[in-house]
Amino acid sequence: MTERKTVLIRYDEIGLKGRNRKYFEKCLLKNIKRALSGSDDIHYTSPRGRIFLDIPSSFAPECSTRLKAIPGVASFSIGVSMGTDFDEIAALGVQWIEPKLEPVESLKFCVKTRRSEKSFPKTSPEVNFEVGSRIMTALSPRGLTVNIKEAEYVLEIEIGRTETVVFDNREPGLCGLPVGSSGNVLCLLSGGIDSPVSAYMMACRGCRVHFVFFDNQPFLGRGGYDKVLRLAKKINHFQTRGTLYVVPFEEMQGAIRDHCNEENRIVLYRRMMYRIAEEIANRHGSIALITGEALGQVASQTLENLAAVSCVTPLSVFRPLIGMNKESIITRAKEIGTYEVSIEPQPDCCSVFMPKNPVTRSKIPFLERDEEKIPWEELRDNALAKMEVIKVDDLP
Amino acid sequence: MIYLDNAATTPMSEEVVGRVNDAMRDLFANSGTPYKIGLDAKGLIDKSAESIARYLKVPSTHRIIFTSGGTESNNLFIKGLCFPDKKTAFLGLEHPSVTESLAYFSQFANEPLSLLPFQREGRLDLTSLANLKEKRIKLLCLSHVNNELGTVNDPLKIISALAKESPQTKLFLDGVQAIGKLGVVPEMWKGLAGYSVSGHKIHGPKGIGLLVYDSKLVLNPQMHGGKQQFGVRSGTLPLPLIMGLETAIKHAVAKTEHTQNHFQSLCDHLTQGLLALQDRIPELDISFNSLVDADVTRQSPGIVNFSFTPVEGEIILHHLEAKNIFVGLGSACSAQSKKPSKILMGIGLSEEQARCSLRISFSRNNTIEEIDQFLEAFGDAYQSLYPTFSQKAGHR
Repeated sequence: MTERKTVLIRYDEIGLKGRNRKYFEKCLLKNIKRALSGSDDIHYTSPRGRIFLDIPSSFAPECSTRLKAIPGVASFSIGVSMGTDFDEIAALGVQWIEPKLEPVESLKFCVKTRRSEKSFPKTSPEVNFEVGSRIMTALSPRGLTVNIKEAEYVLEIEIGRTETVVFDNREPGLCGLPVGSSGNVLCLLSGGIDSPVSAYMMACRGCRVHFVFFDNQPFLGRGGYDKVLRLAKKINHFQTRGTLYVVPFEEMQGAIRDHCNEENRIVLYRRMMYRIAEEIANRHGSIALITGEALGQVASQTLENLAAVSCVTPLSVFRPLIGMNKESIITRAKEIGTYEVSIEPQPDCCSVFMPKNPVTRSKIPFLERDEEKIPWEELRDNALAKMEVIKVDDLP
Repeated sequence: MIYLDNAATTPMSEEVVGRVNDAMRDLFANSGTPYKIGLDAKGLIDKSAESIARYLKVPSTHRIIFTSGGTESNNLFIKGLCFPDKKTAFLGLEHPSVTESLAYFSQFANEPLSLLPFQREGRLDLTSLANLKEKRIKLLCLSHVNNELGTVNDPLKIISALAKESPQTKLFLDGVQAIGKLGVVPEMWKGLAGYSVSGHKIHGPKGIGLLVYDSKLVLNPQMHGGKQQFGVRSGTLPLPLIMGLETAIKHAVAKTEHTQNHFQSLCDHLTQGLLALQDRIPELDISFNSLVDADVTRQSPGIVNFSFTPVEGEIILHHLEAKNIFVGLGSACSAQSKKPSKILMGIGLSEEQARCSLRISFSRNNTIEEIDQFLEAFGDAYQSLYPTFSQKAGHR
């Protein structure tokens, strides 16, 4: 068995880009390098439309795990680089197929070739035939048959300018765009199921997602805080270099609770959260806010209330889950591994501060009148002054 | 740190830590092996079991099984004896490891009989026992000491009443909160089919407990394997934990009288202190959920449970936490579910009274000074939170 392997990485939508394609490719390559850092025996090349990694065989399983968590990767294959010698390629094919024939009586297979180097003297179907017929000579007595439409085993050959890669696997990637290619955003992260999913979705659209958490200590214990740290870490796994801003919110909530109309509380809390988030975004270079809101999911997420909240900031507010139902959100959360953390029973919004009948269709002038009763600019600035800034990469 | 949640768990005593530590380092052999170090390990376990039997005055009619703790002991006895169709009864105020084990039978059309209508002050009213005969109940499951209230089901009284009213009904007691707080009465074993003990509630290690049961009974194992412990509970025996448990039981039993007196003085100081606070703070209204009674056949002095509407217990808990004082909120095992305690609701408290409660539970490490500090911190927290909650509850 060879001691080196070649990883062939295909990208997703970058392929559709025009003149700024180079920028996206560079971004993806940088992210891959960062994700694979720690192993210095990797050589990177990026001919048009592909990224190739030359890695030690022993690193292949770990490399595969890490590539599956990088947005922008459409799929990848791990195979072997060799010269374009049909006998050698067929011999490798025989070596790979033989063990698969052992437990079965017959196996349908085909060879698929792609030439990025069009000057190669044989066409793709010709290469398929040359390699396929050699493999058939060796293995047809053992039950190997050729079937292009219903192949159970596909041997793929990719002929490039400098090298040819042979492989028999395709692992799906996360697709989307490479993190960093779209810019920085700030996600309002709670301990619930929704906001981590929305953060993940934006990371897959090329955003580097930073997080802001509004902390209720000492009203609630440290449970919610610990949980958000773990959630931020889970999402950061898909991007690296995220920052978590923990804002003490108890004073602000206390002021709203004691001085404003009870039914407006939730919307007022959220307006203040957006204002604080806007400040953080401006100071730290995020250009949009992200939330986990889904239309109609709870009282604060009606069209009127969403509008009453968004209007406090000139920043774009994106809600990737807006049209999703809870079931699909939960499915997503399970896929990305945040669900198990999210459902841990830590209180995430203090029941004491919950109004009995929250307003579902709030009127902005009423909210503004309520806000005049509290020194919210001062409370906002105090909260920001006491904010804790955590580099998520540094979390243990 | 002031730790007043000893019904949840207790810190390990120095002697226990030393013994566990030494055994972990020096005594690693598997007690099921035939060579001398294995036989030595077996000898030590047998000796520990004998010592424990002596400390707890367990007669030779009963067998000691080491388990992972109270939950496993309760599951093993209840399911091992009654699964799937033997009729069972319970008071409805037991720990979830009892109530959920019984509830498990419901799916086999064997609904356990709840005697909740017959509870008085958190204890079983003995006049209800005639029902057991009529309903052909095979096993009655009760807590010896209730884990949230500290109220006591006196084994001797129940045993003699059962013998008269329903002689075919066997009695199982969850003794997790009783050992070390109530004296061991040797006569109780005669009428007890099973009894559970946990290490970590008596300054012993977590992960170890006992089931003491009448060896005439056949228990179906819940854990299958190498047939250790008469085949009733398979699994390599954890020698270090067993030695730790032995030490913990030794001290707990030897110090029971001293502990009882100490707890009684802490309990008196706390109840009087709370009443004095009530006099000093006009808006504070304390109601005791545990009995204010010095009779240890009715109430363990180790647990004081009280309500103070309208301020929520959980919020007070976190305010005390900020001052490094740790108290309990119902049972630790159900404290994370957002529903108010079933036990408090079971004795007739309203949802609000149940939510607005705390459980203080002592260990021999606690001092009068600590109770004073708790009282001061509790009074401060209550006063600072009262305006919020009175507004919420419409008290203003």
